[in-house]
Amino acid sequence: MSWLSTALWVLPAAAAVLVGLAPAKLWGRSAFAIAAMLANLVLALIAIGQFDSSKGLQFAESRHWVSDLGLTYHVGIDGLSLVMVALTAFCVPLATAFGLWAKRENLRGYLALMLALEAAVVLLFVARDLIVFYVGFEAMLVPLIFLIGGWGGTRRVRATIRFVVYTLVGSLLLLISVITLGLSNGTFDLDGISANTSPWLFLAMIAAFAIKSPLFPFHGWVPEAYREAPPEVAGLLSGVISKAGTYGMIRFALPIFQEPSSDWRWLFVTLALAGLLWCSLMAFRQPDSRGVIAYSSIAQMSLITLGLFVGSGEAYTGSVFQMVNHGLLSMLLFLLAGFVEVRFGETAFARIGSLARGRAALATIVMATGMAALAVPGSSLFASEFLVLLGAFRYWWLVGAIASLAIVLAAMYMLRWISAVLHDRTATPVREGKDVRWEALYLVPLLAVVGFLSVDPHAVTARVDCDSHAGLVAPASTGSEICR
Amino acid sequence: MSATTLAWIVLAAPMAGLFYNLIVGSSVSRKHATWAACASVLVSFAAAVGVLIALLQRSPDDRQLVSTGWTWLSGGQLHEGFSILVDPLSAVMLLVVSGVGFLIHAYSVGYMHGDREEKRFFAYLNLFVFSMLLLVLAGNFLILLIGWGLVGLSSYLLIGYWWERPAAVQAAKKAFVMNAIGDVGIALALFLLWGHTHSLDVLGTFSAVDSLPGSTTTWIAGLLLVGAIAKSAQLPLHTWLPDAMEGPTPVSALIHAATMVTAGVYLVARCWPIFRAAPEVSDLTALIGVATLTMAGLIALVQTDIKRVIAYSTMSQIGYMFCAVGIGATSAGMFHLVTHAFFKALLFLGAGVVIHALADEQDIRKMGGLGRYLPYTRTLMWIGALALAGVPPFAGFFSKDQILAAGLARADWVGYLVFGFGLAGAFVTALYTFRMIFIVFHGEPTSFARTHAEKHAGHGEGPFSMIWTISVLALGAVTIGFLELPGVSHAMRTFLEPVAPNALEASTSQETLASLLAVSLGVIGIGAAWLLYGRRSDAPRKVAEQTAPLESVLQRKLGFDELYDWAFHRPAVALARGGARAWEGPVVTGSMDLVGATGGWLSRVLGAGQSGLVRVYALVLALGLAALAAWFMAGAS
Repeated sequence: MSWLSTALWVLPAAAAVLVGLAPAKLWGRSAFAIAAMLANLVLALIAIGQFDSSKGLQFAESRHWVSDLGLTYHVGIDGLSLVMVALTAFCVPLATAFGLWAKRENLRGYLALMLALEAAVVLLFVARDLIVFYVGFEAMLVPLIFLIGGWGGTRRVRATIRFVVYTLVGSLLLLISVITLGLSNGTFDLDGISANTSPWLFLAMIAAFAIKSPLFPFHGWVPEAYREAPPEVAGLLSGVISKAGTYGMIRFALPIFQEPSSDWRWLFVTLALAGLLWCSLMAFRQPDSRGVIAYSSIAQMSLITLGLFVGSGEAYTGSVFQMVNHGLLSMLLFLLAGFVEVRFGETAFARIGSLARGRAALATIVMATGMAALAVPGSSLFASEFLVLLGAFRYWWLVGAIASLAIVLAAMYMLRWISAVLHDRTATPVREGKDVRWEALYLVPLLAVVGFLSVDPHAVTARVDCDSHAGLVAPASTGSEICR
Repeated sequence: MSATTLAWIVLAAPMAGLFYNLIVGSSVSRKHATWAACASVLVSFAAAVGVLIALLQRSPDDRQLVSTGWTWLSGGQLHEGFSILVDPLSAVMLLVVSGVGFLIHAYSVGYMHGDREEKRFFAYLNLFVFSMLLLVLAGNFLILLIGWGLVGLSSYLLIGYWWERPAAVQAAKKAFVMNAIGDVGIALALFLLWGHTHSLDVLGTFSAVDSLPGSTTTWIAGLLLVGAIAKSAQLPLHTWLPDAMEGPTPVSALIHAATMVTAGVYLVARCWPIFRAAPEVSDLTALIGVATLTMAGLIALVQTDIKRVIAYSTMSQIGYMFCAVGIGATSAGMFHLVTHAFFKALLFLGAGVVIHALADEQDIRKMGGLGRYLPYTRTLMWIGALALAGVPPFAGFFSKDQILAAGLARADWVGYLVFGFGLAGAFVTALYTFRMIFIVFHGEPTSFARTHAEKHAGHGEGPFSMIWTISVLALGAVTIGFLELPGVSHAMRTFLEPVAPNALEASTSQETLASLLAVSLGVIGIGAAWLLYGRRSDAPRKVAEQTAPLESVLQRKLGFDELYDWAFHRPAVALARGGARAWEGPVVTGSMDLVGATGGWLSRVLGAGQSGLVRVYALVLALGLAALAAWFMAGAS
């Protein structure tokens, strides 16, 4: 089954080329693009089905590429890659379905870019070679720039420029780190790279990931990009693409730079805590849905980073699981916000409200999503947060206790969001606009998966628990039992 | 069927009801949907009776059964299953929750009739019953925390059910956030517990409690207590409960009187090995109980909203239960929980009949003489009130006196405080309860009451579904106390003893003394209420004049709301506002623009070099050559 890893990114890439070039009629093109994405989802499901959670890396494929430079084409899937690829393959078709529903113009370009984005993201999630990863990491910027710049809101150009400039600074530092590592090891293959102790290379590499995830205080590009991007792209950005940052930390930065990451742990734990609390507080005062979701998203990503750096097996699994949960919920929240924007034509809380009246389906979906997103006990997000906070508490009780305050803050900002959308009275109540009907097609699948993972979080944690323990920061005090 | 199979059925039935209403609810008639909801809880109750029978058939020492459904969560060394624990303690709670839950479901069929979104209401009620059952059945602390959080969620949904009232939405949010604070307390307790025992299994951790360091146990118990206080609306996390009365009356009866708010008592009783190993925290539990029962009782004296009177009374009664479990009289606390569930649900639902008859009016100053129009309700309310005031042979008498006697038996300063304040509380309880009864049901009807009640008179006292359910509750309030007849039967205590043993045993003389004093004070309280509010007189006005300062303090509920507003809410808002202005904009976004500006500057500087002027290029070339030559020469010498 070693073809699977490659097929997962080649399929959308090929479909992107076909959609971009073929002169098919409009409707056929949309159907083809969606079919390609669904086919990729089927591939991801096959990977889940065939995956053996007692083993590490599977479906691996390794070929020489440019031997003189030590470049290899090495891809493969372990538990972490598996859940990330599955998340991507699941979210992209739903985002595209939203785009079609919202009647995006220039469909040819739009669909091709969505497919290209999927290909790049999957490539970076299956890469086992630094250069292959870097290619994916940078390639996904291209469709993103055009998607935000082409289909975004009124201030999309400024948002795009900020996003690109800031991300590229990180990328440049990452490139320096990657090249230095590759040249000193004679190969870019992850298997051939030995541990490195240089704090500078570590900081250079993690800068890119810190900007992408984002980590406080490098989150300046986020609120604007999430507001100006089309909602479905914002959903992908915060749900899937931000995970490339934390994924890079787990896959590369932490295992390669074990010593520096241990030395600098205090800094990242502090920044993650600060981001968690600060952005939760910011989310509480935002004037519109996208602002709340953007800041809550940064807070959640901070929690994930916290879990990676405290160095316990529980927190590691929790962080990876949180990446999945936050991916699904962020996507769902942005699609809901997008639904409200498109249907009711308003974004500010001051102009919407009382949407629950006569719209039972919308009310149910918003309520369920909001509750899952504030990590109500029993939700999948609760399960992952519990693990992360438990690990943080083991690292140092004070860190765990402070981070736990975020539970209360999350309740405050999500309840405010729910009321602002569904309940609060406004001067100009929205009367027009139907309830959710066919839109359930892109909302309910996300909610259903969140529900499933709430009943059985073990479905994910069992698959990610035993891999990548090598990627952990060495445990602070207590020895963590390493899986086989 | 085995007890555990039955317990899974208890749990599954309301969940099935919820999904039924969610999925097919929109396409069936209201009658169909509401009765499906009721039937699911009835199935639950029947299975709970089955659990009780199955347990009774086993020998008393062999009544702890654990069943694990599936592995819920794993990660690192943590591995926790979705497991349930069936034992006498959970069986008692199952019966109360599903039994009272069913009656209140059935009552709601009549009470909520004609509401626009009845089906949503019943779906929420089913969700609540499921969550509460999960909470009491949990065999793993992680699952307990899930039930704990989900009852908070259902409480939020039901308080805010009439979301078009801003006050209801506000109250719902307040309740949720207060409870989230409690959830954090429990989560931290679990982190500590897991850190030392590497398990969250209820029975497994209990067997390891003795090997824990003393300070750890104290912390665990203290953090669990934070959760219990928030859920049970005890000082100082109590301010959400009175506001929660914005919810429909059946919700107040089910969640904010009979079941959810008593979860804190259940938690302390369930975790008795931890609390017993942390005597300071146990004492603190009792002292919080003493403070709450006193304060809430006093505030209840001046409330004018009928539901808020009963809400403060609930807080006060839960204070008694906290006293009991705090001083180690676990079974007395649990017994009071059970009897209270009956008579307090009765009082709330009776108040619901009154509110229903008066077109949703809740202000007792507008009521009066309603006994003339609602004679049957008056009788039932009298039963509930007598039970609450602890008059024999009604249920409250048996359970409250056990707590007071236990305080005597404890014979130290905590015990005497419980006894003393408990006695004073008995007087206050009788006074505020009968103040309400006399104002609402006796005397001359006010014109408001007359207009509405006469308009309503044609319909009898309410729909049949409302009347029969409160009748059953009244029957319970009369009979349930006899489970524990001093000197004759100790059914409850014996049943609970193997899983939740008492730390102390009151002697017969102590019980007699406590009973005599409490009953006399209760009767005096009723008499005082009669003198003040039962007769036509201007006594209430005189009393009010003389105690005006005290009354205004009580009416402001001792200022807790204002305190929290100033201490937490306003600073948080100010910090968020100021932070957005002083940090997010200039620093976070500004630094990013700085990166862009640096790039622009660099490009201009470097771009300036590319001027296209050959003489500049030649000059740079020459300079460079010269520098290289100088460097080589320096190296050679």
